[in-house]
Amino acid sequence: MTDFTTAQPLPRPRTLVHPGPVGAIRIEHRHANRGRHFRLGLEPGRTLQDAIIEPLLALGVRAASMTLLGGRLSRLLYCVAPPDPTGARVANYTRPIEAGAATLIFGNATLGCNGRGEPLVHCHATFACDDGRVRGGHIVVDRSVAQSAIPVLATSLDGIELRITQDDETHMPLMRPFEAAANEMEETPHAV
Amino acid sequence: MQSEVRLVEAGAMGRVAYARVAPNEDLVSSIEKLCAAEGFRHAFVRGALGSLVDACFVAPDGGTRQVRGPAVEIVSLAGEVRTQGDGSLRAAITGIVADTEGHVHGGPFVAGANPVCVTFEVTLEEWLPDAA
Repeated sequence: MTDFTTAQPLPRPRTLVHPGPVGAIRIEHRHANRGRHFRLGLEPGRTLQDAIIEPLLALGVRAASMTLLGGRLSRLLYCVAPPDPTGARVANYTRPIEAGAATLIFGNATLGCNGRGEPLVHCHATFACDDGRVRGGHIVVDRSVAQSAIPVLATSLDGIELRITQDDETHMPLMRPFEAAANEMEETPHAV
Repeated sequence: MQSEVRLVEAGAMGRVAYARVAPNEDLVSSIEKLCAAEGFRHAFVRGALGSLVDACFVAPDGGTRQVRGPAVEIVSLAGEVRTQGDGSLRAAITGIVADTEGHVHGGPFVAGANPVCVTFEVTLEEWLPDAA
């Protein structure tokens, strides 16, 4: 007998059309054979960017995925991504919004590099403002400053280079995985 | 006993996979496809960020709740992927998103109803359970 199941209809997902040609590869991925884990305490008084990058580079980590646990920031700036009124992109970041001093609730961050090979951190997080509002978004890491030693769990992505490149489809600079240069683990590219 | 639930599972972490998921792919099924592509039978989400066109959560009453974008920012994810008895892969993903005004919403993501807006970066760590 045929096995039927019934369910409530889901909200119909929207397929957005981006300004550029649709890339053939939808999931670009690589793997490291083993993750190395590090616990960081972010140095109070420093920007999140510097407090994350410096210790990881000193450990020889150039690509990592991170979980930011709770802590205090003396200053936090963030962006959200409403529709782009110019139509050049589907959505674009707003100008940085000043949240003042805030308590970090939880966040995720990626350590990678820009097109010139300089390290950078991409971070999204949820936080509580001192007036009680809870907000979230893209954290402006080079202008947000740690006040307490915010704990961070970093998982290194050895053998993978995460590099920002301009994406033809979305017209946005995006982080993508590449094979890291020699002297690191050999990896084979994959795509689905 | 066949239906016995295994509450404690000892094991070890294996490989770590990073993926960049392109627009209009589904958040939950892309995580399952990443495991299939990498040959992970079980995995934990170790980090994720990106954006969705709209976010769709399972509501407490069993229905769904949609947060309208674009773009809805993914600010944190937790979840795992498990191989099922029939060999299929099933991701259970919960998380917090921020809407276009920075207001936060959270819950379990509905599979098939969370299309990626611009990009979705995800890191999975393979879970290798010891033999039962």
